[in-house]
Amino acid sequence: MPSATVNKPRPSELLSRLTSAEPEVKVRALREVKNQIIGNRTKKLSFLKLGAVPAVAGILADSIDDVTDNNNCNNDSNNAINILVQSAAALGSFACGFDAGVQAVLDAGAFPNLLRLLANPNEKVVDAVARALRMIYQSKLAPKYDFLQQKNMEFLISLLNSEKENVSGLGASIITRSCETNLEQKALFDAGILRKLNSLLEGGSLSQRDASLESLATIFRNNPEVISKFAGPEIGRPLSSIIDLAKDRYPRTRLLACMCLIVIRNASPHFLQDIGIKTKLIHILLELLDDPGQVGDEAPFAFSSLIAQKEDLQKLALEANAIDKLHHHIKKGSLHPRRYEGILLALADMCSKLESCRSKFLSLQVLNLLADALTDYNAGVRAAACICLKSVTRSIKNLSAGYFMNETIVIPLVQLFLDPSTSVQVAALGATSNIVVDFTTRKSIFVQCGGMKQLVQLAKSMESSVRSNALWALKNFVFQADNRLKEGVFSELTASLLSSLIRDPEPSVQEQALALVRNLVDGCINLIEFVFAEDGLILGAIGRQLQCASTAEIGIQGMYALCNVASGNEFHKEAVMQLLFTQMGDKNQSFVIKFLQSNDSRLCTATVWTIVNLTCPSSPGAPGRLEKLRNAGIVSQIKNMVNDPCVDVKLRVRTVLGQSMAFGDN
Amino acid sequence: MPVRVTESSTPSQVSGTNSGDTSPPACTLLSVGQTFSGTQNVSSLQKEEAWRVNVRIQGCDLEHGYLCGTMEALNVPMADTPVVTFWEGEIVDTKNYTFYTGKWEASPEDDKRHWTKFPSFSPLLSQVEVDGGKSLDLSNYPYIFMRWKEQYFVNVGTDCGLTIAGFYYVCFSCSDGSISGFYYDPNSSPFQKLELKSTNEGRSGYSFSSYELQ
Repeated sequence: MPSATVNKPRPSELLSRLTSAEPEVKVRALREVKNQIIGNRTKKLSFLKLGAVPAVAGILADSIDDVTDNNNCNNDSNNAINILVQSAAALGSFACGFDAGVQAVLDAGAFPNLLRLLANPNEKVVDAVARALRMIYQSKLAPKYDFLQQKNMEFLISLLNSEKENVSGLGASIITRSCETNLEQKALFDAGILRKLNSLLEGGSLSQRDASLESLATIFRNNPEVISKFAGPEIGRPLSSIIDLAKDRYPRTRLLACMCLIVIRNASPHFLQDIGIKTKLIHILLELLDDPGQVGDEAPFAFSSLIAQKEDLQKLALEANAIDKLHHHIKKGSLHPRRYEGILLALADMCSKLESCRSKFLSLQVLNLLADALTDYNAGVRAAACICLKSVTRSIKNLSAGYFMNETIVIPLVQLFLDPSTSVQVAALGATSNIVVDFTTRKSIFVQCGGMKQLVQLAKSMESSVRSNALWALKNFVFQADNRLKEGVFSELTASLLSSLIRDPEPSVQEQALALVRNLVDGCINLIEFVFAEDGLILGAIGRQLQCASTAEIGIQGMYALCNVASGNEFHKEAVMQLLFTQMGDKNQSFVIKFLQSNDSRLCTATVWTIVNLTCPSSPGAPGRLEKLRNAGIVSQIKNMVNDPCVDVKLRVRTVLGQSMAFGDN
Repeated sequence: MPVRVTESSTPSQVSGTNSGDTSPPACTLLSVGQTFSGTQNVSSLQKEEAWRVNVRIQGCDLEHGYLCGTMEALNVPMADTPVVTFWEGEIVDTKNYTFYTGKWEASPEDDKRHWTKFPSFSPLLSQVEVDGGKSLDLSNYPYIFMRWKEQYFVNVGTDCGLTIAGFYYVCFSCSDGSISGFYYDPNSSPFQKLELKSTNEGRSGYSFSSYELQ
């Protein structure tokens, strides 16, 4: 049977009704605006474009002083109350889960008026205002609340003490959004806020419990001191109430309780060591993945924060079939981007350390699924797919088998080198760095896909993180590569670009450029000639950079580059000698002495190896070089290191001294 | 305070709670990219025979006591080309692995019988008999003990008539990078000896390349 349709008023029409002098018309229009925009981003946006937020904020501002007495129930007063309630509710709806709406509400100057209205005598007004402010405080755009001011803290306590759900919830939301520093966490603890939040956990409504769990997690984050006080005898058994809430019947409460427990464990590892609780958390979070809404979207992120960097938890999660379950969700397809990204990151954390996890993941034949994710329209998903690939490709066993060097993966990965998002570019370069450590003869696939040339282009990027990651990938690519591939990389890079990268302003770029040179000149002895191209441009750059090395890593990579050159013929060795003695720093001292005296045993080892090569007894010029090294105080410095605590340094020092004795030194 | 095992001292047991690392020292000669060459003696009662062998280290993860690489056997009688295998190693670091194999058909007696063939093992024997060497502090000992297990053939099929069922007991000298090993497979000739030396690919000195996984 046909039914009559009720036409909703159009936004522009509603906006004109908001200006009506008739209070009833105005209230109806406000209510209609609110109803139309609830849960509808498109509608919110179209009202926003028409300037609805300043209009509603203006109505609120104009009516703010109209309600002064809770008991006055005449018609005018009722209208005023309704106008305030409906305008606050509409502003709250604009702000709900919509940052552009929050920004518009703040820009319209409504925020101070809403705060002021919290003190209104009318309960309905206070409730609507508190709800609107809660919506604002769910956004990162919310104004920062300064807890360190006494009057602000008192106001916050008054909010939390309120019997009204929205008001105490607002208090909790303010904490969740504004508490950032250890000092603020401590101030909230000292003000007794945790005791109040704990009472909301135990006796509050559903929304109060949830808000309290979120606030507690904020106050605990990276603050073992506050956690130990909270979990101490002063407050009773608060941890057990959070543990109980992790088994609550509401999914969102379970998620928030898990997140709170994870924050506690990550800040204070001695809490929640019980294997039963760890396993329980893994199972709860994996179950929450099945939730179709926001809880399911957030669950994989919570799971990641639980297992990241922790092998014991990754093992437990593997036993709980986490990889199968996460894989199952990806395989289902059509995931919300946030959930898709979270699941890929959870898989990345699962496969970050343990080979058993990587084997499990690869046994599911997932590379095609990952290749799909690499081409997803959402940048977060693309970056997460790269990060996942980066974790899985840490498997040396599979790298040795050439498992990852295939077009299915390499082609989409190389395309991401030009992604508009820098984080996607860097993540793609990270995964590439691992994949190109290929021990088979398949490295040429990467060249055929255009990857090598692209990496050289990215080494010229304006972004230093892109430059250093591109060089990192090139360094790994030329590791143990054949001469032809190395020559290809060098001619693409050129000596002048490589020497300018060695002298890059960014230390991480300098380090990777030096490590690339180190690998280029390894292998066939002819490859050493690279550093002599264009009048020894690269060798000169290495010398100058070593003289002013700002990190041990730069020294290590630079010294190994020189060590490898010094393992060549007489000409190569003499060129290194010349470099060691022309690059003198303060007190006319070679950087060699400085490196030998370093506390970093890796740097000492690299330096002593260079001296080992320069004084190699089979080379005719060794006695002369030894004499020079002795005159420069380098040999006596090495003698002082004969009992170095590092075994590697000690043994190499003994090699130098043995070689020196072969030439009559004692 | 643990007492370190040094080349001149008798091995010590770690006493009480040990906060330091008791794993063997890191050694640049046993790092990725390093190559070794030598022979494996495969003589039987019937005839004397040795295969030339090249080894390349491809991966090293000291935290997990893991090492891997390839082994190339050059003059294998039944193969037309050199036979390359991929192997994975367990470093005896008292944390991830002890001297007792506990698998691959090797009993503690088999383990001791093989380890004692290395002269550098003798100072460790008495403690290994107690607990497999779990409480030894190897952080200053200039030898690294390992087990290398071949996992797959790289360039030939499994039908090549060769077996990789066994594994090697390996001792690496940090001083000069020399490697000794004994192949153990209950079904092959016992104590096939592997002897390798660090190589420098025609250079007059040592060269070191490296990669880093992200």
